[in-house]
Amino acid sequence: MALRNIRIYGDEILTKPCRPVQMMTPRIKLLIRDMLDTMYDANGVGLAAPQVGILKQIVVIDIGEEGSEALVLINPEILETDGEQTGQEGCLSLPGQAGMVTRPNYVKVKALDENMHERIVEGTELLARAICHECDHLKGIMYVEKVEGDLFEVTDEPEEAAEE
Amino acid sequence: MTKPVNLREICLGVLMEITEEEAYSHVVLHQTLEKYQYLEKRDRAFISRTVEGTLEHMIQLDYIIEQFSNVPVYNMKPLIRNLLRMSVYQLKYMDSVPDSAVCNEAVSLAQRKGFYNLKGFVNGVLRNTARRLSQVRYPDPQQEPLHYLSVKYSYPVWMLNKWVSQFGYETTEVMCKDLHMSRGTIVRCNLTKASVEEVIADLTSQGITVRRHPYLDYALEISNYNYIGSVSAFRKGWILVQDVSSMLVSEIAAPNWGDYCLDVCAAPGGKSLHMAEKLMGSGYVEARDISERKVRLMQDTIERSEMINIRAMRMDATLLDEDSRQKADIVLADVPCSGLGVIRKKQDIKYKMSEKQQSDIIRIQRRILTNAQEYVRPGGTLVYSTCTIGADENQFNVKWFLENFPFHLESIDPYICDELKSRTTAGGFIQLLPGVHASDGFFIARLRRDQES
Repeated sequence: MALRNIRIYGDEILTKPCRPVQMMTPRIKLLIRDMLDTMYDANGVGLAAPQVGILKQIVVIDIGEEGSEALVLINPEILETDGEQTGQEGCLSLPGQAGMVTRPNYVKVKALDENMHERIVEGTELLARAICHECDHLKGIMYVEKVEGDLFEVTDEPEEAAEE
Repeated sequence: MTKPVNLREICLGVLMEITEEEAYSHVVLHQTLEKYQYLEKRDRAFISRTVEGTLEHMIQLDYIIEQFSNVPVYNMKPLIRNLLRMSVYQLKYMDSVPDSAVCNEAVSLAQRKGFYNLKGFVNGVLRNTARRLSQVRYPDPQQEPLHYLSVKYSYPVWMLNKWVSQFGYETTEVMCKDLHMSRGTIVRCNLTKASVEEVIADLTSQGITVRRHPYLDYALEISNYNYIGSVSAFRKGWILVQDVSSMLVSEIAAPNWGDYCLDVCAAPGGKSLHMAEKLMGSGYVEARDISERKVRLMQDTIERSEMINIRAMRMDATLLDEDSRQKADIVLADVPCSGLGVIRKKQDIKYKMSEKQQSDIIRIQRRILTNAQEYVRPGGTLVYSTCTIGADENQFNVKWFLENFPFHLESIDPYICDELKSRTTAGGFIQLLPGVHASDGFFIARLRRDQES
């Protein structure tokens, strides 16, 4: 397991658009593994490549629902959206804060998977929100630009360790 | 993106604080809702309903859990036991949540909290409960009457035992049942600002359901509103939230024009303000309390009320204030108590109180009474009240008081409606019982200091 440094809001790299991935390479495979490890380690549900300093169109998402597996989306393109949801959103690049963001309640996205096979992914609610949030990163957009009202503090209570 | 807040995780945290760290439910819940005020109304309602409901039915939930677990509840890890309680509550009492969601969420929460090895246990207990909930056998009312009441209404057996011996089995069941029912909010009309009719018209125009209370003409029961702060009559100071039992205290104190009144445990100040209102600007009411914070809150309330014959000050009622000796025409001693009469609003009280704690409270009550009686002028009045049920903190304290101080009980019949009159009210006191009376559980006694003392 290799963890990468998560870039924090204010880092210029988070404002830059990413380049599409042309072909799968061992280095990119490794990057994807590391991104998943980094996301799980930070207790996140999604992470985009620029957040670990790489300007490539790659995102990983795992909203942690039973039965669902981690999604790897390369060169994602949102085809369709529908509905609306307003709720709290936070970003691993802006720890301890959150804000209210309105997002579509349904999205349909076209992307390549780890083997560069094209696939269509649909999501509602949390998954739809995560897809939009991560795809924005690839365009250099942070959710703070879309926040309604002010950001607020959210304290992450430390997880208790089992004694057994 | 970060993980969004998990409502069940919040509920679990609140329950842990209340059941394992002795925090009070209304305080923790209030703080939590304050902290998560950005959540949607629906989510906030889920948090309060789950926490309050779990506390309300805790003994019953534990009983059900133990039907499906080979580990007794008291032997479980605190986090696991509270997780099971709130999950079983959702299974039994919240039809809108699918059973599978309750089980899945509980399992993933157990895992997230570091109890990976107990995932299977949580899953097993909850899936079994979901499947066989309707087959659970509860204690038999004939064979084990106390155990039956305890599991059905979630009251500790020692408490039921006391109630049954003092009020009988049937009345005890009526009280238990009533304390589980939600009621509208009782408010007192501030007659210095508007008439009762004006208040009713104002409330009704906002679509609020208003019912007149049978005991007092200026007491109203209101329901069908979201948040008291948005009620215009409340914002204008026309109404104050106060239970009718507490209004009866000022009725029974019955201040005369110009009386000097001392309320030794006044916070949140409802009774003191009521007294000041009854004095119609004359006399003076001193609202004392031990807590600096509560005194500040009372000062705010007094300022909003625009009354000039009342002030709040910090003073500890368990210490004697030499300067007040024999100065007051009326002293109110609404002492701290076990609070069993207001369980409806604070469900966790019934588990926190023990016989030992009750005897500590009685000691404090007697210390306060010993000081309070010093402040009553010869011929003056002392009104003793508690928001609890049972003779220990009520009748027995009054009996002890009469044996030690030059006071006598005085009939309260002139101050109350016919419906409330009884042999004890003619004798000078009343024990209000939830379900039997249309109020919280409450005790009020009127004592007069002898002229020659």
